[in-house]
Amino acid sequence: MKIRVIPIITTIFFIIIFILFYRGLENSNIYVPKTNINKQIPTFNAKLYNSSEEVSSSKIFKDNQFYLMNIWSSWCVPCRDEHGFLKELSDEKNLKLIGLNYKDNKESANKFLNELGNPYDIIFSDPKGIIAIDWGAYGVPETYLIKNKMIIKKTIGPLDKNSIMEIKEIIK
Amino acid sequence: MYGRKVKLRFFYILLILTTLVLTIFLILKSLEQNVIYFQSPSEIKNISEIDNKKLRVGGMVKKDSILINSEEINFIITDLKNEINVIYSGVVPNLFEEGKGVVAEGYLKDRNFFMAIKILAKHDENYMPPEVKAALEEK
Amino acid sequence: MASLIGFYSLVFGICSSVAIIIFSIQNFRNPKKLNEKILILTFLQFFLVTISFLGLIISFVNSDFSNETVFNHSHTTKPLFYKISGSWGNHEGSLLLWLLVLTLFIFLFILKSGKQPTQYRILTLLFQEIIIIGFFIFLLKTSSPFNYIYPIPEEGLGLNPILQDPSLAIHPPILYFGYVGTSIIFSSSLSAMVVNYISKEWAKHIKVWVLISWIFLTLGILLGSIWAYYELGWGGFWFWDPVENVSLMPWFALTTLIHCILVLEKRLELTSWVIILSITTFTLSMSGTFLVRSGILNSVHTFANDPERGLFILIFLFTLIFLSLFVFFFFHKKETNNKSSFFLVSKETSIILNNWFMMYFLSVVLVGTTYPIFLDVISSDKISIGPPFYHKLIIPFLIPFLLAMTIGPRLKWIKSDLSDKFILIIFFIISLLLSLYIVKTLKIDFLINSILISFVFYLFFITLRDFFNKKYNNLSQNIAHFGFSLFLLSIIFNNILSSEVITNLKVGDTFKSEKLKIYFENITQKNEKNFESFVGEFVVENSQGDVFIMKPELRIYNQPNIATSEAYIRTSLFSDKFMTMNLVQNQEYFNVRYQIKPLMIWIWISVLMITLGGLMSIIKKNEN
Repeated sequence: MKIRVIPIITTIFFIIIFILFYRGLENSNIYVPKTNINKQIPTFNAKLYNSSEEVSSSKIFKDNQFYLMNIWSSWCVPCRDEHGFLKELSDEKNLKLIGLNYKDNKESANKFLNELGNPYDIIFSDPKGIIAIDWGAYGVPETYLIKNKMIIKKTIGPLDKNSIMEIKEIIK
Repeated sequence: MYGRKVKLRFFYILLILTTLVLTIFLILKSLEQNVIYFQSPSEIKNISEIDNKKLRVGGMVKKDSILINSEEINFIITDLKNEINVIYSGVVPNLFEEGKGVVAEGYLKDRNFFMAIKILAKHDENYMPPEVKAALEEK
Repeated sequence: MASLIGFYSLVFGICSSVAIIIFSIQNFRNPKKLNEKILILTFLQFFLVTISFLGLIISFVNSDFSNETVFNHSHTTKPLFYKISGSWGNHEGSLLLWLLVLTLFIFLFILKSGKQPTQYRILTLLFQEIIIIGFFIFLLKTSSPFNYIYPIPEEGLGLNPILQDPSLAIHPPILYFGYVGTSIIFSSSLSAMVVNYISKEWAKHIKVWVLISWIFLTLGILLGSIWAYYELGWGGFWFWDPVENVSLMPWFALTTLIHCILVLEKRLELTSWVIILSITTFTLSMSGTFLVRSGILNSVHTFANDPERGLFILIFLFTLIFLSLFVFFFFHKKETNNKSSFFLVSKETSIILNNWFMMYFLSVVLVGTTYPIFLDVISSDKISIGPPFYHKLIIPFLIPFLLAMTIGPRLKWIKSDLSDKFILIIFFIISLLLSLYIVKTLKIDFLINSILISFVFYLFFITLRDFFNKKYNNLSQNIAHFGFSLFLLSIIFNNILSSEVITNLKVGDTFKSEKLKIYFENITQKNEKNFESFVGEFVVENSQGDVFIMKPELRIYNQPNIATSEAYIRTSLFSDKFMTMNLVQNQEYFNVRYQIKPLMIWIWISVLMITLGGLMSIIKKNEN
């Protein structure tokens, strides 16, 4: 009997450690915000990318109009991948594309846009990543479909063929 | 002969147990004394009493708040909701900048002033200490 | 192109590992066939991973930004040396390096262990292949260094400038040699347990691996500390930061293991110790990788990371832990010669005693490192644990530890009387008097510190004397122990006698105190290839009237845009003078720190001496 006790205790001990580490992983340094589907969009003031004029979000997002808000950055690799899809979406008549340039420096962001083209109607800059936190962003890229100041659909990570098909379906 | 062996074994087990208990006690006690809690400026505003314990305060360095003279550096840490003034005389890390995340270690003077003895450096500009993230998130 | 070759060679690599497993299981009872083929197969595996690694290096050298890893971590203006070292200075590349060393070591193991029983060799190989395949899957699934980006960017994002440093460029490979070496010990002790081959011969054969991993681990930690000393600009070399602790823990376990293996080799005792320590050492090395790479740790050294990778390492780590627990509980046989050969005064007793102290130090560090993680999970309190915790719990226990270290080696196996008691006592009195004198002149008020100093001196004198003692001829051990005493002495006096001045100065300002005058003469700007450099010129005058110039530097790297301060250090045998300067954003004041750090160089020298002891032990073994 005595010999059996020690293995069991050790095993249980390590299982507990495993669970603790596992839970620890969940709240580690990757920031995980709440998901905001069918929620009112946050209001924010941000500088426009091309001028340094500060604009309130309430003036940009009008009712009865679809908006696609895309958080991007020149250093983010998947953003490059999804850029083609964004350009495809920019051809849609009843959709306005809004970019949020996240924690980026202007020079490389400009280079990025010159290199790959600019699909956005309006770009805000968010050099500190504060606005992205307001939006509950997990990281870059992230895309929100908005109507009547409500988030209808949210895509975490790069857009792909399926997700733009869905978006096109919704805004028809 | 047999009795002696059993006695010896008993003695060993007793010895091991007491050392184990003592060690655990020692470690726990020392932990209690040397733990440094992390607080956001908002948490400090709600703190009930100010004691002499070492603390860490984290958040963002407020824009245009850095003031420097030959003895000390003053700045404000904000979690975008509440703020705290920090007085510091020491080395600042390279990534210490207005608008960037910061963690300061030191003692509270009162609810609005914090005497920092160390500003923690980080190596990665994209890395934000989890506490700072949490502090900003609570907003 | 190079990264394409790299990727496919990695895929072929995993195939070769699977082939090794199948082949060895099929021919497990056919040693002749195995002995012929297995060496070639492991070489093939090593060769494929090498090609893959070279592919990565070539992509870095050519700045091939179609490769995601290169894009994220390199830049065309980076010097060639850092382009190469950049290939393992990131998560993906460092894992590939781990894998490379793993395959290299198992190849060397198979090459060198020809005289050992075949079943034992093959079983070791099998355990090792489990680890290797785990790393292959990890690499290919969650962190491939060969991801392709399209459209191809023109320029990379650059390497974190703080890592652009010669000692940090070689620090990871050296440390990995140590870590991976422990995996060989792990697999070997598991398989020795299964085939019941825990014996003096086994101890003799595995000792070399233990020593090699220990040497690399020690050197790796040393390089990391040296880097922290001059690059982080805090003037310290050890901060009890979780990431540093994580490399120290396997070191404690490994050092204990060396001593246990020695006992096993001579007396076939402490087998449980040896096995448990072999498992622990490797587990701690793996946990180190897990803790650093998952971002679970809150440390200044942590880099932003992806939790999915953490999950993989976590599951992998615990699979290995449970596997080893299973093997241990089912196959381990208790020591056969369990005679109660326990005498209070013998070499074994002192070794066992020090083992327990080592385990105690290890658990202190372990608790201090993991407690914040656990507390965060349980109560979501965010805490950190400061250096006083470690100092308080470790320093007092160094005293009996040192005593056992001084007396232990002079004892005989089993049962013995102390030889030359007279000299031992004389030396003890000398060190006591010396430390009393030092304590008085330096006005140290802390009792434990003064006792510690006398015991360190005791070890110092005794080991020093033993260099000239013909009766006592274990040179490698003596060097290591002497190095350890020198190490502690340097640290203690470094701590007590350090002094510093921190001030904010503008160009032309002078800082004055009773002991010191610092005049900020001018600042010059230079443009280098990948950074802008600002060199300040400070004239320092101390109370003895010595005048010297210090030139700390501030670098602003272009890609990524980060500033680093390069410390200016004047080293002498007695003390280092250390100055850093930092610019606070948009202000004309410079943040200046001037420090005097006594005996700094002796800390490095003594650690080198300790490793030299290990190295001599290997050489001595080969001569026999």
